[in-house]
Amino acid sequence: MNGSFSTRMLRTIAAWVVVAIFFFPIYYWTSVAFKHGNDIFNRPPKLFAFTPTFDNFQKVFGISLGSGGITVTPGGGNFYMAPRVWDSIVIATLSTVLAVAIATLAAYALSRMNFRGRHSFVGWVLSTRMMPPVAVAVPMFFIYKNFGLIDTYTGMVLIHALMNLPLAVLLMKSFFDDIPSEIDESAIVDGASRFMIFRRIVLPMAKGGIAATAVLCFIFSWTEFLFALTLTTTSLKTVPVVSSTFVTSIGTAWGNMAALGAASIIPAFIFILLVQKHLVRGLTMGSLKQ
Amino acid sequence: MRVAQARRFVISDHPLPWLLPLVAILLVFTVYPLVYNIWLSFHEFVPRRRALEFVGTENWVQLWNDTRFWQSLVITFTYFAIALIFELVLGMAIALLLDSDGFGFGFLRGVLTMTLVIPPAIVGMMYLLMEDPQFGVISYLLQSIGLLNSNNPILATASTALAGVLVAEIWQWTPFMVLIFLAGLRALPPEPYEAAMIDGASSFQIFRRITLPMMSKVIAIAVLVRGIDLFRVFDYVFVMTSGGPGASTYSLSLYAWQQTFSFVKWGYGATLSLVTLVIILVIANLFIRIAKVRW
Repeated sequence: MNGSFSTRMLRTIAAWVVVAIFFFPIYYWTSVAFKHGNDIFNRPPKLFAFTPTFDNFQKVFGISLGSGGITVTPGGGNFYMAPRVWDSIVIATLSTVLAVAIATLAAYALSRMNFRGRHSFVGWVLSTRMMPPVAVAVPMFFIYKNFGLIDTYTGMVLIHALMNLPLAVLLMKSFFDDIPSEIDESAIVDGASRFMIFRRIVLPMAKGGIAATAVLCFIFSWTEFLFALTLTTTSLKTVPVVSSTFVTSIGTAWGNMAALGAASIIPAFIFILLVQKHLVRGLTMGSLKQ
Repeated sequence: MRVAQARRFVISDHPLPWLLPLVAILLVFTVYPLVYNIWLSFHEFVPRRRALEFVGTENWVQLWNDTRFWQSLVITFTYFAIALIFELVLGMAIALLLDSDGFGFGFLRGVLTMTLVIPPAIVGMMYLLMEDPQFGVISYLLQSIGLLNSNNPILATASTALAGVLVAEIWQWTPFMVLIFLAGLRALPPEPYEAAMIDGASSFQIFRRITLPMMSKVIAIAVLVRGIDLFRVFDYVFVMTSGGPGASTYSLSLYAWQQTFSFVKWGYGATLSLVTLVIILVIANLFIRIAKVRW
């Protein structure tokens, strides 16, 4: 399958070109974040020749890069978004912790214990993954309103944890399935309880899997839109939701929005690279192992 | 005594204590909304009295006679089919291209994962700017090679708006397919390929007769996982077109959401979201049966 030098060369060039095409929007978007207004609204679009500026980041994050190094000045401007980033981080982190905790418990039982209806139970978990968010968000809006959960961390954490549970359960189950059950059985013979085996033996062995599950839950919460749009109004908002509201009466603040967007991609991308080994398994909810 | 019994139960081999937190949260957040949606679909909010009133099957009759609903159903299926075909074909082609241990290929695979971590709402905004008729880089490119008339902005023309949204969708999720297919390709055993080479099979024959059949399980799973999300499409259309122009990009999810939150038709919105749910459940479970996908 390796072929001659020239076909290999051709393949390498084609691969770089294809990936460059996919990378281009990200480059363009990042370049917008460093552009002055008139460079964004230039025709033809300016791709490389523009004077970079940090104004957009300064406005959005309250950070300025002056001669005296980096100074942080939290502002109160319309596009000061640091609190929204904080909201996103809190919601993503707490919902991940909740989802992973519940999912590891359930996944252990689904992986190790034989009980009637186990298959249908897995099927039920999978089918909750199919629920369209809108079918959950509409009733949840009314329920949250009654319980005062609109605009609260609790409400958002719960709904994002729920959204990630099917993925987390199926994924953790696949990681537990990889650990031979003989280990559990010999520990039982030695008199250990199920919970002790779970905590002392199986959990440490599944560390990599837990990390991968957590990263995916974090990213899905970080990027989620419909629930955040529906269940928050003013005092709490996530990054994707505020990004869609950068439209003002004098036009869209593209530069500011691009700065927020570009910055919000970086943590998620670093996380996903850390668990790249398990990425495909995660994306397919545990059904494909790499 | 009770405590000791409870303790013994919790540490026993019974699966219930392990599954209880999951079952509780799934019941509260999926079964309850489902029941509430069904109840709501037989009621409607009456603004004059500021209250929900029982309307019988009125919402369901309205659904049946609502051309907007049928239109959004067609749009959702069109979106689903076009996106899936493009993502599958492009994904497979790029995966075959990147399936190499040559220098730099690992880096290229890493770069492709970037699209997956961007919030779809932000991707929508990104393409909104790039498809802007005046400053957008995509519009500029298409106009300068004569494929696009500057009087017809991509997202504001009924015939091209859906394509404009699909570009964002396909850009973001083709790498998803590439990564899955690459993992599948890398796990294939080398023996059938060696045998085929000896028999002098062409590379297309090898792909058709060996790669595709051996990849069928991987493809089925990719179709299922992506298909579920495609059918619920909301973010891109909400951000890029809000369903317009006219109703040319109304997806079912967006239509249901707008009925509830923009037009205060709570009952009808619930009816629409129920229908969306039922269609997904039926299609996905049929697919699982037919393609024999197992978890």
